[in-house]
Amino acid sequence: MILLHLFLVAITVSTTFSIEVNPKIFINNAECLVDLSTQLVKGECRLSLENNDDKPVNSVLYAFEPSIKSHVSFISAHQIFESNRLSLNIKPVILSGHEDKQFYQIDFNASRPLRSKGRAPLVVEYVLINALYPHPEEITQKDRQLMMFYGNAYLYSPYKSLKSSVKFQTGTRRIEDYTNINPVSLSSGDIIYGPFGSLEPFAYTQISLHYDNNTPFLKVTKLTRTIELSHWGNVAVTEVIDLVHHGAKLKGSFSRYDYQRETNSGISSVKSFKMYLPASATSVYYRDVIGNISTSNQRTLLDSVELDIRPRFPLFGGWKTHYTIGYNVPAYEYLYNSGEDYFLKMRLVDHLYDNMIIEDVTVRIILPEGSVNLDLKTTHPIVRLPDSLHYTYLDTIGRPTIQLQMSNVVESHISDFELKYKFPKVFMFHEPLIVIIAIYILFLTVIIWVRLDFSIAKDGQSETRQRISGIISAIIHHFERRASVYNSWDETLNKLKHSKDVSAYNTASKQIQADYKNESTSINELATKLKTESSELSDKLNEVQKAEKNLKELFGQTQSLYIDKLITGKVGRNQFVDLDSGLKRKKDECLEKINQLLKSLN
Amino acid sequence: MSSNVLYKPLVLGMSSEKQESFLKMTILTTAAVLSFATRLFSVLRFESVIHEFDPYFNYRTTQYLAEEGFYKFHNWFDDRAWYPLGRIIGGTIYPGLMITSTVIYNTLHFINLTLEIRNICVFLAPLFSSFTTIITFLLTKELKDTRAGLIAAAMIAIVPGYISRSVAGSYDNEAIAIFCMLLTYYAWIKSVKTGSILWSAFTALAYFYMVSSWGGYVFLINLIPMHVFVLMVTGRFSHRIYVAYSTVYCIGTILSMQISFVGFQPVQTSEHMMALGVFGLCQILGGINYMRTKIVGDDFQTLLQFIIYLIGGVVIAFGTLLTITGKIAPWTGRFYTLLDPSYAKNHIPIIASVSEHQPTSWSSFYFDLHIQVFLFPVGLYFCFSKLTDANIFVILYGVTSIYFAGVMVRLMLVLAPVMCILSGIGASSMLSTYMTQYLESSSKVPEKKLKKNETSKSMKSEIATAFVTMLTFMLISYVFHCTWVTSEAYSSPSIVLSARSHDGSQVIFDDFREAYYWLRMNTAEDARVMSWWDYGYQITAMANRTILVDNNTWNNTHISRVGQAMSSGEDEAYEIMRELDVDYVLVIFGGVVGYSSDDINKFLWMVRIGGSTEKGRHIKESDYYSPSGEFRVDKEGSKKLKNSLMYKMCYYRFGQVFSEGGKPAGYDRVRNAEIGVKNVTLHVVDEAYTTEHWLVRIYRVKDYDNRGGKMKPNKVSTYYEQ
Repeated sequence: MILLHLFLVAITVSTTFSIEVNPKIFINNAECLVDLSTQLVKGECRLSLENNDDKPVNSVLYAFEPSIKSHVSFISAHQIFESNRLSLNIKPVILSGHEDKQFYQIDFNASRPLRSKGRAPLVVEYVLINALYPHPEEITQKDRQLMMFYGNAYLYSPYKSLKSSVKFQTGTRRIEDYTNINPVSLSSGDIIYGPFGSLEPFAYTQISLHYDNNTPFLKVTKLTRTIELSHWGNVAVTEVIDLVHHGAKLKGSFSRYDYQRETNSGISSVKSFKMYLPASATSVYYRDVIGNISTSNQRTLLDSVELDIRPRFPLFGGWKTHYTIGYNVPAYEYLYNSGEDYFLKMRLVDHLYDNMIIEDVTVRIILPEGSVNLDLKTTHPIVRLPDSLHYTYLDTIGRPTIQLQMSNVVESHISDFELKYKFPKVFMFHEPLIVIIAIYILFLTVIIWVRLDFSIAKDGQSETRQRISGIISAIIHHFERRASVYNSWDETLNKLKHSKDVSAYNTASKQIQADYKNESTSINELATKLKTESSELSDKLNEVQKAEKNLKELFGQTQSLYIDKLITGKVGRNQFVDLDSGLKRKKDECLEKINQLLKSLN
Repeated sequence: MSSNVLYKPLVLGMSSEKQESFLKMTILTTAAVLSFATRLFSVLRFESVIHEFDPYFNYRTTQYLAEEGFYKFHNWFDDRAWYPLGRIIGGTIYPGLMITSTVIYNTLHFINLTLEIRNICVFLAPLFSSFTTIITFLLTKELKDTRAGLIAAAMIAIVPGYISRSVAGSYDNEAIAIFCMLLTYYAWIKSVKTGSILWSAFTALAYFYMVSSWGGYVFLINLIPMHVFVLMVTGRFSHRIYVAYSTVYCIGTILSMQISFVGFQPVQTSEHMMALGVFGLCQILGGINYMRTKIVGDDFQTLLQFIIYLIGGVVIAFGTLLTITGKIAPWTGRFYTLLDPSYAKNHIPIIASVSEHQPTSWSSFYFDLHIQVFLFPVGLYFCFSKLTDANIFVILYGVTSIYFAGVMVRLMLVLAPVMCILSGIGASSMLSTYMTQYLESSSKVPEKKLKKNETSKSMKSEIATAFVTMLTFMLISYVFHCTWVTSEAYSSPSIVLSARSHDGSQVIFDDFREAYYWLRMNTAEDARVMSWWDYGYQITAMANRTILVDNNTWNNTHISRVGQAMSSGEDEAYEIMRELDVDYVLVIFGGVVGYSSDDINKFLWMVRIGGSTEKGRHIKESDYYSPSGEFRVDKEGSKKLKNSLMYKMCYYRFGQVFSEGGKPAGYDRVRNAEIGVKNVTLHVVDEAYTTEHWLVRIYRVKDYDNRGGKMKPNKVSTYYEQ
């Protein structure tokens, strides 16, 4: 708050020297409408200005009473030309001799100044906050909430006015009391002061309005909004909110029974309120320091997502709460780029609840790691704190973070900010690379750890064991190969039995014998190696070899049975079958034995 | 033969050694992942939130440690608890848990993994369960073999007795203590087997971690000496054990004294005396063994007798002297309870009032351990059948812990691991026997049809088949049982309640947090809240307000004072509340929604504890029973009960509420009774807040009258009871 004021002063000081009230300008007609039906005081003044000077005027002034000065949160001015709304520039200024009041200078469009002897309609809209006072300050649960407004019966202006009236809308018929100044009229909740005739500049008569106002009096004392941008396509928004009910304080006890049974009980309290998020908002969460708040509903509308927020407890006057809202929006709706130049356009502050008041806002915009040349533009004055770095998952050099502060923000302040920055595309691969390298290093470490021997003393035994197991696995490998040789031999034999084609068998057999020889020599080589390492295993291997020799003999017998006896027809059918199956059984037994022996090798 | 494969192929081209380690790794990893995953029910159903009561204190202290650093934590005087006494946190807790999570937190933040401390706390217990699975494997492997280890690891991954204390969110000391305990045992077995100083020193370190994390270390420091003692008696004492125990005792004791909560207890209290005694015995035995090699014949006998009498006399004399002068502290109440289950019931109501200190019922053994109840004796049998130094340890562990688990429900946790280990040993031994038979028979049956002993062989194979099938079925049913128990019984955070509405949808009662958050946001920063001690930790952690008594029940008189305030009439209670500077009173009332563990159901304990000290002598339990001797809240209830502050605060304005269809107004759904007094009036307190479902009610204590005198009771309210 103070910061903002200092800031405003800083920009206005330079422009003060030449500004003074032009006495030749007067207000022809003024109609002011002040809406008091919510916690905000929303004013709208339609002024008709006349320039009696000889030269055209480029700007006019709008003033606020000293008592109102500190409540002004937002002001805007526009003109209507041919049913087109034309916004005008407006800025706070200080006039020497009038330091107690607050002035705003409204600049006319350069092409349409207020001509000499000309007239110009002008609409000024403003919002006052904290301008309504609960009266009485404390009420019980069953009481209604009454508000007091202290204002001016006249239009407050640095210019002379010829005709004016001020209308106060309370939105209720329950009006306790209002100051009586002639002329005043009351009709269905509207109190109208005026029309008044000619009034001097800075005409002021204090009035007070005392009326029933049970709309939510909620004020955010502190909002921290964090916008975290990811170039992988997501924008995460987090809002941490301190909320207080600043209406009439609850006096005495809170009775849950009355609150549940009687509709009028706690009429000024706030049970829930609505918050609107962007239409594309997803994975919304609503929680506070002790966990998730289970009492909220989400509805997706056409142009927004409506959140029905229910604090853990109903908010009575003076009660506070604190919570966090978070959601994600897709980046393509807000982020634009051309090459390495990026442009982010988002709302600086978004809707929290209807007619909101936010006293202090801190906005943090976290950009992806490696963003440079940040250039920020906002429509409303802000205080920009020094940039910082934010570290989170997989960050190494930190994400550039912009920090902004604003104060006394209302809904009318909601507008987009524009942020330009440069982001080298190679940085997109920065984080995936880190993950890849981390996993690579992990695996490498494990490989080194497992493969290399880090022991100080030499363990001869285990080395021998490893060597032996290496040889054994090689031997087994060759045995398997030889087994496949046997398999194919078996198949060719079978073929021979049926086709009785000896020459085909002989050619196939040559290849088989060659394969067999290869494997056998390899096995024999390994066997001699094994002999030097372990005599016990070598003996076992010998047994296997013996059994294998047996097997080969059996195969030889089968071969001779087929070629010499079956094909030449030297044996009868029955005798052949007997012999064949006998051989087959022997082969099976032999195989079984080899299998068992091989198993025991391991 | 032709097409059948000649030799058995190797899986994925690996040698059998590699195959084995591959299988081992797969099974272990799966078990470890499973033990993490099965504990996440509550996070998936509700949210990542801390459970129950004690974990909230641990969470709060962890937050403090993470934010303020170790030295501030060590010197932390907490003025939020035990008003007006306060509590020196650093000196009255086992800091292992907090330090563990803070180390994890800081390590992760160092490499920019910005995990919230809350999430680390929530997931710490599942993480350590995974570690426990691995350490159980290692331990069982040392005791028996790899196969038994794998079964034990798979079993402990999902055993409900352990899950009950280690689901996600149950951030309690036990969460890491079981891991520390098994780690110590593993290291101990290793050092007994090797006799190496390295392993013994590692045991001492593991023991130090255990001491820093849980009071249950006392079990450990008695079990290890007992093991050594039994080894001595059975004549298995050797240099290995001498080296192992001497190292462990010396280093372990010195290390354990570094924990300020433990302090000088290891050398002063009787609980630790067994360790000291066995240490002395070790030295004597070592000395005698040495002398035996040097002296021969009768000289040795004479010397031995002399030494025995001398040392025995000196020990008894010193022990008596120290006990009389109070240097050796007598045993604490909880310890007496372990030896005599009825002790607490008769002497200390505060210990008896805690449900987890109750004796275990038989059904809960089955509920928490399932088939292990049967497999445990089998495992014991196999251990006995092949007795080794290590096996004796696991037998001792099993037998003692099954006794302690029978005395106190809470110690089921200590029993669960040994049950898994022994069941693993049992199941694996039986399976190895029968699987071999089964495999043999299945591969040889077709060829040996014609053998003589055909009948006996095939019978054997059928028995093997039947047995393997049965055990498989039991193990499968164990898995289903464990999952069901975890999901139904052990996964509710108890801070958020859920119920089914008429149409079957889930209704969530978040009243506790509603009330705590209300206190946090809308009362003065230094407001003092009086509630029964159960809610103390939750209030300090979630509401961040000062409380009078909490779950660390170290001061009986203070709790008794609160009990007196709750059970007295309004005026007397007001005096006590003013004396204790109470601003708010918080009560839990389940009468509207039917939440049965509310304050009215705990009320008799308040009366008992309130009446257990000098100032509360006038409070007698019998006054709160109806003439027929029952505890009733309806018209029949005793006048004293209906006049008590607790009764009034719970039922204030409840008389008008229609809680259940077809029942009169003021129908208490927990006690199933229409309350006795419907127009309760309160004149010393104001209703400050009541939650949506009336579960929590907060009252503001009124200030003195302006005139500064005592609050005068209102006439109307004094006489309505009659």
